[in-house]
This record gives sequence, C-alpha cells and structure tokens, in this order.
Amino acid sequence: MYEGNENICLLLPVAVPIAAGALILLAKGIRKNRKTLLALVLGTLFLEAALVAQALYVGGTLNLWQMTDSICLAFGVDGVSWLFAGLTAGMWLLVGIYSVSYMKHEQREYSFFGFYLIVLGVLIGLDFSKNLITMYVFYELMTLTSLPLVLHEQTKEAVTAGLKYLFYSVAGAFLALFGIFVLIRICGNQTFTPGGVIRCLEDGTMVCILRSSIGTERIGQGLFLGAMLCILIGFGAKAGMFPLHGWLPTAHPAAPAPASAVLSGVITKSGVLAILRVVYFVAGPQALRGTWVQQVWILLTLATVFMGSMLAYKEPVLKKRLAYSTVSQVSYVLFGLSVLKEQAFMGAMSHIVFHSLIKNALFLCAGTVIVMTGKTRVEDLKGLGVKMPLFLSCYTVVSLALIGIPPTSGFVSKWYLATGALASGTGTFTWLGPAVLLVSALLTAGYLLPLTIQGFFPGEDYKEHAKSEPSAWMMGPILLLTAGALLLGCFPGRLLAMVEKIAASTLL
Amino acid sequence: MKEAIGLTIPKVCGMGLHFELDGFRLIYLAVAVLMWSVSGVFSLEYMAHYKKKGQYYLFFWATFFATAGVFLSADFYTTFIFFEIMSFTSYVWVAFDEKKESLRAAQTYLAVAVIGGMVMLMGMFLLYDLCGTLRFDELKTAAGEILSGSKRVRLYAAGGLLLFGFGAKAGCFPLHIWLPKAHPVAPAPASALLSGILTKTGIFGIIVVSFGLFGADRAWGFFIACLGLITMFLGALLALFSVNLKRTLACSSVSQIGFILTGIGMGCLLQAAGEDNSLAVRGAFLHMVNHSLFKLVLFLCAAAVYMNLHELELNKIRGFGRKKPALMFCFLMGAFGISGMPLWSGYISKTLLHESIVEYAQAIQGLKMAGTAIPGILGNPVFWHGAEWVFLISGGMTAAYMLKLFIALFVERGLDYQNGAYMKMTSGAVLTAAAAVILLFGMTPHRFMDRMADMAQEFFGKTGHAHIIHYFSAGNLKGGAISLGIGAVLYVFFVRRWMMKEGQYVDRWPSWLDLENLLYRPVLQVALPGICGAVCGFVDRYLVSSLVTVFLTVSAVLCRGMDQMADGIIRAARFSTHSQIPRAGGMKEKRGKRTGALGKWNVSLARTKERIQRNGRMVEESFSFGLMLFAIGLCLTLGYLLLVFWMQAKYT
Repeated sequence: MYEGNENICLLLPVAVPIAAGALILLAKGIRKNRKTLLALVLGTLFLEAALVAQALYVGGTLNLWQMTDSICLAFGVDGVSWLFAGLTAGMWLLVGIYSVSYMKHEQREYSFFGFYLIVLGVLIGLDFSKNLITMYVFYELMTLTSLPLVLHEQTKEAVTAGLKYLFYSVAGAFLALFGIFVLIRICGNQTFTPGGVIRCLEDGTMVCILRSSIGTERIGQGLFLGAMLCILIGFGAKAGMFPLHGWLPTAHPAAPAPASAVLSGVITKSGVLAILRVVYFVAGPQALRGTWVQQVWILLTLATVFMGSMLAYKEPVLKKRLAYSTVSQVSYVLFGLSVLKEQAFMGAMSHIVFHSLIKNALFLCAGTVIVMTGKTRVEDLKGLGVKMPLFLSCYTVVSLALIGIPPTSGFVSKWYLATGALASGTGTFTWLGPAVLLVSALLTAGYLLPLTIQGFFPGEDYKEHAKSEPSAWMMGPILLLTAGALLLGCFPGRLLAMVEKIAASTLL
Repeated sequence: MKEAIGLTIPKVCGMGLHFELDGFRLIYLAVAVLMWSVSGVFSLEYMAHYKKKGQYYLFFWATFFATAGVFLSADFYTTFIFFEIMSFTSYVWVAFDEKKESLRAAQTYLAVAVIGGMVMLMGMFLLYDLCGTLRFDELKTAAGEILSGSKRVRLYAAGGLLLFGFGAKAGCFPLHIWLPKAHPVAPAPASALLSGILTKTGIFGIIVVSFGLFGADRAWGFFIACLGLITMFLGALLALFSVNLKRTLACSSVSQIGFILTGIGMGCLLQAAGEDNSLAVRGAFLHMVNHSLFKLVLFLCAAAVYMNLHELELNKIRGFGRKKPALMFCFLMGAFGISGMPLWSGYISKTLLHESIVEYAQAIQGLKMAGTAIPGILGNPVFWHGAEWVFLISGGMTAAYMLKLFIALFVERGLDYQNGAYMKMTSGAVLTAAAAVILLFGMTPHRFMDRMADMAQEFFGKTGHAHIIHYFSAGNLKGGAISLGIGAVLYVFFVRRWMMKEGQYVDRWPSWLDLENLLYRPVLQVALPGICGAVCGFVDRYLVSSLVTVFLTVSAVLCRGMDQMADGIIRAARFSTHSQIPRAGGMKEKRGKRTGALGKWNVSLARTKERIQRNGRMVEESFSFGLMLFAIGLCLTLGYLLLVFWMQAKYT
C-alpha cells in the first residue's frame, strides 16, 4: 500500500519511552532510589528528543501492521508531524526537567513518571500516524494513558476530574468514530494527502478523487457534512472546543502542575492535530468551504474563544483560570483552521507552537507558586514580585505574549489569524472573528495581568510569600520557555516559512 | 529637506519593520532626546530617595526607545509594535508610587492603553485587508482609490478605529480620562514625559491617518476638527476647576491636544476646499513641539514643588515660589508660552491655528460666491465663527488657569517655607535652559520655528515654502489680545469670585461628574463582565450537564419502555386469551394456608407438590409463551409473504 523508503527508525521514538515507562511502573528496584529513577527518566527524555530529531531528519514511512486489506497501522513523517513531534518532544523534555523539582513534594513519583513517559511515546505515535485508523488508535491510547496523570493525587477531587476527563474524551472519540466510518466508506483508510481526497460532485454526492483506494463509494453531501460535524465536535472535545470543553477546568486544577502543563500545552493540541488531519488531509478544505458545517464550526470556535476568556476573567483560582484560558486559546487555533484560508492557517499553526510554549510556562509558574507559597487564589498573591522578581518577570512576559502584545509571539499568530479571517470571504465572520479575538485578548489582559500588578506593586499591606527565587530546576525550564515565547515573536521567520509550506500544500 | 532615509528590517516580528527618518521625525527625535535628557537629569535628584530606582530607570529608558521607535516607524505595523511596548513600559511610571490612588490611576491607564491598542489593531486589520499594505507611503494611493470607490465606508471604519486607538493615547475626548488621573500620581519627571511626548505619539498616529488616508476628505476633517474643539474646551474647563497643581497641568494637556487636533482637522478641511493648508499644518506641528516644551518645563517646576513639600494641592503649596527667582522664571516661561503671550513660542503656533480657522471661514464665503457652496453645517460661516470663539475662549481659559497657578504659587502668602536650596544646581540649570528655549523660539519665530515647520511639513504631505507670515502684525496681535483679555476677565470674575472661599481654593466641579466613574467603570467593570460572565457561566455549567441529564432520563424511560414492550404485549395478549391464569399475587396466599393446616411430612409433601405444580405452571407458561411468540412470528411471516405476493402481483 505504501511506497517509499521503509524506515524502522520511526518506531524507536514511539517504543523507547513506552518501554522505559513500563519499566518504571513494573520494576520495583528502580523506584526505590530516587536518583536512579530520575536518571532513567531524564535520560529517556533526552534520548527521545534525539530519536525524534533523527526520525524527523531521516523521514520516510513505516508500515507497522497490516491487519486486513483495508486496515493497517502505518507511520510517516510530513510537515505537520515535524511541527507536532518536535514540539511534543521539546515540551516533554522541559516539563520533565521541571518535574524533577516539583514532584519531590508529591507521593508515588514513579507512577507519575512512568505514565508521563508512556504518554510521550503514544503522542509521538499520534504525530507520526499516516492514516485515519492509526491516528484513531493512538488517539484513544493517549486518552487512556494520560488518565493516570489526572488521577495522580488520588483525592476525591482528582478521581472525579479523571472520570470527567475520561467521559468527555471517550464520548468525543466515539462521536468522531462515527464520522470516521463515513469517511472511510468514501475514501478507504486513505494515507493522509495534503489537500484531502474528497470532492463534491455537481449532483451533490461526495466522492474520492483517487480511484485506486479501497472503498470508494458515493455518499450524499448531507451525510458527509453530518459526519464532519461529528468529527469536529468529537475531536474538539480534546481541544476544549465548546460544547465538550467541560473537562479542562475540572481536570487541570486536580492534576499536578507538570501534568496540567502538558495536558494544556500539548495534549489539547492533539485534538487540534486530529481535526487538522481529517479536515486538511482527508476531507480537504474544498469539501467544506462555504458549507453550513464551516459556519457552525466557526461559530463554535468563536463562542469558545469568548466564553473561555470570560470565564477565566471571572475565575479566582489561578490554575482553573489558566485552564479556561486554554479553552479560549486552543479555539484561536481552531478558528484559524476553520476559516480555511492560507494566512489564517499559518496563524493557527504558529499559534499551536506559541500557545504551547506560553501555556506550559504559565502552568509551570502556577505550580511554582503552589510549591513556594501554598496559595492557589490570585488575590492571595500580593507582593509576589518583591522576592521573586525574575520569576514574576517571566510570568509577565509570557502573559503579554498570550495577550498578543508585540513583540512577543502571540502577536504574530494573532496577526495572521485576523488578516486571514478578513480575507476569507465567510460573510459576517470576516470581521466578527477578528473582533472576538481582540475582545478575548482584552479579557486575557484582564485575567493575567492582575497577578503581575499586585505582585510588583502590592501597595502597603501584603505578606511576604517566599524568601527567594525558585530553584534552578524550576526556573530553568520557565526561563527557556519564556525566552522561546519572546524570541519566536521577534524572529518568527523560520517557523513561518515552515508553516507556509504546509499551508501551500494543503490549501491548493 | 534632503531625501528621507529609510530602513527596512525584513521578517522581524512577522511582517518586518520599516523605519524612516525625515524632517518631521528628525525634529521629534530631537525633542524626545531633549525631553528625556532633561527629565533624566532631573530624575537624579527627584528619585534619589526612592528604593526602586533601578526599576524606574530601566523603564524610563525602555520607554525612550519605544517612543523613538514610534516616531521613526514608517508603517502601522512597526508603529503598533513600539506603541504597545511604550504603553506597557510607561505603565510602570504611573503605578510607581504604589499608593492607592496611583494603583487605581494605573489601572485606568492600563485599561485605556490595552483597549485603545486592541481597537487600533482592529483598525489595522481592516486597513490591511482593504489596502494590502500598511506602509505610509503606499497607503496614500491605495486609500485614495478606495475613497472614491464603493468600499469607502470600510475605510472610514478602519480610520475611526485607528483614531480611537491613537486618540486614547493622545487624550482626545472622550478618552481623555486617564490623563487627569495618571499625571498627578506619577513621579513628576515621568509626568512631564507622559504629557509632553507620549501623548504626541497618539498625535503622530492621528496625523498619519488624517493626512495619509483622508488627506482631502471633508467629513473626516470636520470630525477631527469637532473633536479638537470639544477636547480643547473641555480640557480647559477641567483645568480651570482643578485645585491640584499637576492635575491642572494634566487637564491643560488635554486642552492643548485639542488645539493640535483642531489644526489637523482644519488642515484636512482646507485641503478639501482646495485651499493652501500650510497655516493649519504648520500651526498644528509647531503647537506639538511647543506643548512638549511647555509641559516639560511646567511639570518639572511641579516636581521641584513636590520634592520639597510632598504636596500638590494648591491650598497647601501656596506661596512656595516666593523669593525663588529661578523657579519663577521657569514657570513664567512655561505659563506665558502656553497662554499664547506674544514673544513666547505658544503665541506663534496659536496664531497659526487661529488664522487657519479664519481662513477656512473665508474660503467658505469664497465658495459661496462662486456658487459651489458646501452643504450642511460645514458650509455655514456662523458655525466657523462659533468655532473661532471657542478657540479664543479656550485660549482665554488657558491664560486664566495658568494665572491661577502662578498667583497661588508665587504671589499669595502661604505657610512659611525655609528659603534654602530647594533644587540642585544641575536640575536647576537644565530646567532653566529648557525654559529659555521657549523664549528664544518665541522671539525669533522666523529663524527657528518657520524652519522647523519647513522641515516637517513634508510629513503632512506639503511641499514648497509657505509665504512669510507676519506674526506680530496688528491683526494677529488682536487675536492674542482678545484671548488674554478673556483670560484676565475669567480669572477675576470666575476664579477669584466663585472658586475661592475664605481665601481657599475650592473644588467646584461636581464630584459625580466624572466620565470614568459615571460611565466607563460601571459598564466595563461591572455590567459587561456581569452579564457576559453570567451567560457564559450558565452555558459552561449547565448546558452540557443538563443536556446529558435530559438525554439520560429520556433514553432511560424509552429503553425501559422498549425493554418491557414485547413482554407487555405478550402479557396483554395472554390475559385476553388465558383469562383463567391466576395472577402472581394469588399464589402466596394459598401456600400460607396449606402449610398451616398439615404436619411435617405433609409439609414436605405439600412442598413437593407445590414445586411440581409450580414447575408445571412454569412449563405451561413458557410453552404458551413460546407458542405465542411462534404465532406472532408466523403471523409476521405470513404477512410478509402476502406483502411480497401482493407487490409482485402489482408490478408484474
């Protein structure tokens, strides 16, 4: 079914962390000594980064398992995999380094680190997936393996949150599965093709443009669009898109900070990846452009953008506030995808990277605040910057980046999103979209900056929280992420060129 | 002026940065350097006792670079980048004192800056979508085409949004709210910069929008001119009522910005009427420069007061300036300048602005004679005479409030202050030097001010030399004299009679009449988040969960129904055919009776019998049940067969 160079290297980045994670979970000898455990974890993370880089560099495909004629699991590397796999490995490494210091305060470190590594392998598998079925398999695996991260603290709250996470994810995935069945009837288990393979004929039926694939069948446009909506809403659950966004604000505060960081910064993006693959690599933008599904999709994303920001603005608990912020920000990305326009697509892809950097940094900051002060509510954190100016400066810079204040990175993506939306010809949404983005940016300023303001300008009455800056293990990753969020905003040339290439190939 | 120097840094920040250095920018860069160095030297003394000096200087210089970036920018993208950096770095100045009111003022400042920035960004999006470029030089032609086409409404929308953003920074009505709050609480050298030059970045943007996009558009010019007149009058009124030294100066800034805006508006209008607009353009530009200098000097005088007394209320600082000639000299230079006293530089720019209004009124008359009268209020000479009087009265109010400040500080006797060193030599020297510039400019207008205007006017889209204006001619002096006369009258009858009570200055402004507390804060802080938050919260919390609950309940009922359906039908059928079968409830009763009547053996026998009976009944029941099902199935099959036959018969 696949030509090209078979490359066994693609399997390594998936298998190695899963094996290492399983080893940590199963071998009791390792977990007794903290140093051994950490050495193994960090070693695996660094090795993984190298393996991913190598796999991306070499490229190629790998036919993993031919189950039946039409069902097979296969890996391959393209531009989108580049972006997502690189991002995932990098974030996992940085957050892993941070966890060394953070998890000292938690019970059962080994279980956290074990599942942490397993999820990494699964995510890389998801990023490397080459067809719908592979993607779906790893998508479900991701839900199941990331569940223990949410459950980690085993409090009543954590268990409730975990169950909610599971329910939303599984419900969403099944909803999407229905849509996948329909798509597979049209075009078979098609290899992801930039620009999609499904087109609408003049008589209103959808058909696959590639004759060679298995299962080409004509399907009415109504059914196709319904299936697409199911997929969008279903995979949108992971990306926190309204109406299935509910798990985010519950799961994030319950999970340990590094877990919420990657949940919010990376795992929500896998929902985006799934939508991206289906819309741009299977169905194709042409099949959706101008249909009612596109309208509904834009409307849902805009509603989410506004709602998430508004609720974050009203939320007093820092981590929950950040979770709502994620709801809003990931929908920026989805909005960029939904207008089906090159510039907006570029904005969306770059926002994936930027938001990942920013949100990881913010959650790590929130975790640091919890470790250093034990406080979770924003209004209790007056005067934070008096003893921790560097830490709070980092927080401020990434906050400004999330608001989209130039020259930080958030501005660049917002620029492309808005100009793309304006040029998209989607009726009212051409100007409504940018307007909602800006109102949301305003609210973002409203919910992120108070911490900075109270922190640096506490006025007279405040309690001192901490004696000094956080440890280097914590500050290091935060500083790196901050620098990334700032520098990528100043010099986004390389990244933009890369996403432009993807955009050019998918939006014909 | 020689060719402008351009600099392009591609790809940085996404779209690349574009800078340009022409006459206007060169002058404003020089003004910025002058202002920052003077107030920087002054800060050395002013900030000496503060703990967080390092923080102050960091943001002090960061703001300088950002401001320079704004003035040098050659496209809106670059402007916006530096504009936002400037807004955020200057925020630190306002919040610096960490007092309650400074934090509140800082909140206002930040809100205005962020909202203004976002609105401006929206304008840029629209503009970019319309014109495909944001470079000032390319925009002009692109916008000209659109103005004559069908998309002009969108261009107005884009321009309006940009105007909102820049106007918020400039302090244009109704977005002036941050100035009277933020200036008094910031450290005084910083207030000088906030008022003297940060507001000018807003003006810079408005100039670009007005002359770059709507150069000869009548409606736009009228709108800007009206905004300018309102701002001018309202700011002066606020300043007249104020009893706080720095607040008065801040409100005065609002008013002076109004003067500049009027000049810009008149420039557009004159161009639209086909006249030479150099008077308006040069007046607006020179007033910008002048106002920067005035506010530098005046705020630093206020800084000298605050350094010594830590007070700014007029009643508590009265008489501080007695026997301090250097301070008095500096203050007088600023006061004379800003009130438009002949021989000081403010007179020159105000005369030009005044003349431009007069010129437009004449131009309208001329057009009327020629038979091409402008319709509506715009073409009504009465309106423009009114505008002229608003202008003169605002100038008069300026004189009145400066007189009020001067008399309070330097003439009236207040508490006894020791007459020692109140200012270091270096601070005094730079302040005096800056003050002397105002006099120098005013005395030799042709040597300095005209040349500056020549250099700068290219930026407004003007070329060539303007005719030499006789600033000190009788007609022009008359305008200045009327204004000053109004000022004297206002001071004597308004300030001394009405606003003073038992020798104390009283704040006569009704305290509820505050646009921020009356409208903006309730709407933005309470109403909007309240309503939207409630809606979003409801949707977030109840929509999915109630949908799930409803779905579960409905489906549970339905499934229970479906579960029982076959059973129920059969039961109903059996009751109709086997009506003698006893109901389940009847059996228990019988069993109870028998066990009671017989002995042990009998009991077991009875049990066996009963078991057999029960089994028999069960077999019978299930057999009949099966038969029933079979019958139903048979019926269905027969029905199906019939249907098929019938169909076949029908179609063959």
